Amino acid sequence: METTLVDFVKVLRTAEIQVSPAETLDAMEALELVGYRNRTLLKNSLSMILSKTPEEKELFETSFEKFFTFENISNQPWAEDGDHQDDNTDFDDSSPGNPGNGQPGGKGSGQGGGQGSGEIEAEDEDDDQTTELTPSSPLGQLLMSGNRTELMVSLSEAGRRVEVNQIVVFTQKGLYTRKIMDAMGLKPLQDEITQLQGDGGRPERNLAKKLKQGRDRLRDQVRDYVEKQFFLHADESGKQLREELLKKVKLSNLEKRNFKDVQEIVFKMAKKLVAIHSKRRKTFKRGQLDVRKTLRKNMQYDGMFFDLQWKAIKVDRPKVMCICDVSGSVSNYSRFLLMFLYSLSEVIPKVRSFAFSSDLGEVTQLFENSKLEDAMAKTMRDYGNGSTDYGQMLMDFKRNCMDDVNNKTTVIILGDARNNYGDPKAGILHEMYEKARRVIWLNPEPRSNWIVGDAEMKKYAPNCHQTDVCNSLTHLERVVANLLRFAS
Amino acid sequence: MSIENDEKLESIEKIRLGLEGLNYISNTQIATAVFLAYHLDKPILIEGPPGVGKTELAKSVAAMLDLECIRLQCYEGLDESKAIYEWKYGKQLLYTQVLKETLGEILEGARGLSESVTKLHEFGDIFFSEQFLEPRPLLKAIKETEGCVLLIDEVDKSDHEFESLLLELLSDYQISIPEIGTVRADPDRKPLVFLTSNNTREISDALKRRCLHLYIPFPDADLEGQIVHARVPEIPANLRKQLVSFIQELREMDLKKVPAISETIDWAKTLILLHTESLDADLVRQTLNVILKFQEDIETVQAEVQMLTNKATKEA
Repeated sequence: METTLVDFVKVLRTAEIQVSPAETLDAMEALELVGYRNRTLLKNSLSMILSKTPEEKELFETSFEKFFTFENISNQPWAEDGDHQDDNTDFDDSSPGNPGNGQPGGKGSGQGGGQGSGEIEAEDEDDDQTTELTPSSPLGQLLMSGNRTELMVSLSEAGRRVEVNQIVVFTQKGLYTRKIMDAMGLKPLQDEITQLQGDGGRPERNLAKKLKQGRDRLRDQVRDYVEKQFFLHADESGKQLREELLKKVKLSNLEKRNFKDVQEIVFKMAKKLVAIHSKRRKTFKRGQLDVRKTLRKNMQYDGMFFDLQWKAIKVDRPKVMCICDVSGSVSNYSRFLLMFLYSLSEVIPKVRSFAFSSDLGEVTQLFENSKLEDAMAKTMRDYGNGSTDYGQMLMDFKRNCMDDVNNKTTVIILGDARNNYGDPKAGILHEMYEKARRVIWLNPEPRSNWIVGDAEMKKYAPNCHQTDVCNSLTHLERVVANLLRFAS
Repeated sequence: MSIENDEKLESIEKIRLGLEGLNYISNTQIATAVFLAYHLDKPILIEGPPGVGKTELAKSVAAMLDLECIRLQCYEGLDESKAIYEWKYGKQLLYTQVLKETLGEILEGARGLSESVTKLHEFGDIFFSEQFLEPRPLLKAIKETEGCVLLIDEVDKSDHEFESLLLELLSDYQISIPEIGTVRADPDRKPLVFLTSNNTREISDALKRRCLHLYIPFPDADLEGQIVHARVPEIPANLRKQLVSFIQELREMDLKKVPAISETIDWAKTLILLHTESLDADLVRQTLNVILKFQEDIETVQAEVQMLTNKATKEA
C-alpha cells in the first residue's frame, strides 16, 4: 500500500509537481483516514495535500487518472474465442522442437490455420471430458486458474521487482517486457511446455497448447503494462533528460527544430530567477538602527542623537545595456541572451539592447513591441550582414549612448572579439569601464582561442570587470543570475 | 476537540449538510477539505478568485461548530506585535515605578552590592510575564481553551517575513515568546486554521507545504443557483435561473474583473428590491454597476446587454 503511494508521488514528481517528503507523510496519514475504497474521495484528498497551485492540480488530475487505472488488464477476458487460438496454432505449428506434428496442412498458411482451429475446438471438448491435467509451474497454475486479479498483482509486483519505473527511453520497452516475464517465472513455464510437448500424450500436448496461449496473451498484457508505465514515468523524465541535454549543448550547434524547446527552457529558467530575485526587491520600511552612521551623523550636534540613521537595504534594479554581435557565427548566442533578458522583464525592467556586425543599432523598441522570433529575424536582416568590426561598434556606441552610461549601468557585450585585424579601439571600452558599474564580456569561444588569430580579447579583457565563456544555456543562466546578484 | 465536534465532523456528507444548514452551499471538495483539516490537524489554505466564499467558509465552519471565529486580517506591514502579542508597555512602566518605591523594603538588611543583587535576583521578576502580555489574534487562538476557528485572511497581502512567522504556528500549533517560553495549544483543542489568499502573489513553498490546499473556482450554474436560493430565498425560481445564466455568460467574456458569487447575491437582492419579475435589457443596464466594478467593463458589457439578456431569458 505504502509503496503504491510512494510510486504515485514519484510519478507526480516526474510530472513536475513539487512534492516534499513531509507532504508524502501527510498523504499517508490522510490515506489511513480515507482509504483506497472511494476513488473520488481519494483523489480529492490527495489533490489537496500534494498539489498546491491550480496548474499543479490540473497535472495532478491527469497523473492520477493515468496511475490509478487497471482497466486495461482486467477488462480483457482471458478466455477468448477462436480468433486468438487461430494465431496461436499457427505459431505452435511452425515453432521448432515440435516433433510429432499431426497436422500436415498447418504450416502457417491461413487456410491451414482455419482447419486447425476447428480441430482444436474439438480437442478442447475432448479435453473437458477426459483427464484434467494441472500445470506444475507456478506461473502456469496462475494462468490456468484464470484469476485476473491475482495475475495482475503478480504482474505489478514483477514490474516493481525489475524496477520498470526506471524506464527512460522507448527502446527499453522490449527489454522491460522480457524482464517482467522472466520475473514472473517464464523460465519454469517454458520448461514445462517443452517437457509436455516432448511427452507426446494428447492431454499433455493439449495443456502445452493452452499454456502457450496463456503465455502469449500474458506477453501482450505485459507489453501493454510496460507501455503504460513508459508514458507514466518516462515520457516526462525523457523530456527532462532532453532539457538537461539542451541546457548543456553549445548554442551554435542547436538546430532550428530545437528552438521551441529551448525557448521553453529559457522561460522556465527565467521564471526561476524571477522567483528568487523578486523576493529581495522588497524595500524595508523601518529597518534597524544604524549605530555607526548615527554616531557619525550626529557628531555635528555635539553627539546628541538628533538625527537617527536607519539601516535599510535599498535595492537597485540593474540597468542593463546589452550589445550583441549578430554576425553569422555568434548570432545564436545573441538570440538566447536577448531571449533571456527579455523574459526577465519583471526583475530587470530596463534593458536596452543593441545589435551590430559592423554598424551598431539599437533594437530595444523592436524587442519590446514585437514577438521574439520576429524581432530576431528583423534584427538579423538589418544588422546581420557585413564583416564584424568591433572598433566601429565601439565608436558608434560612444557617439550615441556613452552619455547614458552611468554608475548604475551594467554593460554586457556578447561577441567573439574577432575583429578581422581592424583597429580594436580598446580605449573606448576603457572609457566605458570607468563609467559603468560593470562591463561584462561574454565570449562563446573557449578561453584558449581568445588570443588566437584575429581575436582581440587580449586587448579588451583588461577593460572589462568580468569576462566569461558563454556557450550554453547553463552558462547563460549563470551569467544572468550573477547579474541579478550584483544588482541587489 | 470536543466530542460533539467529532460528531459534527464525522463524515464528509455530514459536513456538507451542516454547512448547507447555515446557507453555505459547498461541494464535496470543500467538505473533504474541512474533514481532512479536522482529522489531520492541518490548516487549510484556500485560494480562488475574490468573492467565491473563501472567508465565508471559515465563518460558516465556526458557526457550525459553535466556536469562536478569531480573525486576523493581513495587510502589508503586519508584524508580530499586531498578530501575535505585545507587551503592555504602560503597565510595565508603572510596575517599575512601584518596584522602585518598594526597593527599600526588598533590600532591607542587605549589606554590600553583591548581596543586594543576590536579593534582587531572589525576588520574583514579573516584568516579562503573562500579566503584562497583550495577546493578539494568533496567541489568543492558541490559548483558547474551548478551541476556535482561526481565520488568517488574505495572507498574500502580508510580507514574506510574516509568512515565516506563521510557520511555527501552522505546523506545531505553538508560539515561542522569547521572554516567557513556548505557548502550546491544548492538544485536544487545537484551533482549526483557515488561510485565504487571492493569489496576488505566490505563497512561499514552506507555507504551502504545511497546509492542505483548496482551490475554490467559480461555481457552475447549478451550484450557483443553489447558492442564490440559499442566500436570497425570496427570489422567484424563474428570475433566479435567468440571473444565474446571465452571470455565467458574463464570466465567459473578456472582462477586467468578472462578477463573483458575492456579486450575484448582491444583484439578486437588488432585483428583489426593485420588485423585478423577469430580466429585461433596460433593467440590466441600470443595475449593471452592482455586478461590474470597472467602468471599462461596464462599457464593454453595455453593448452586449440586449443579446445577453435575450440569451439568459431564453435559457431559463
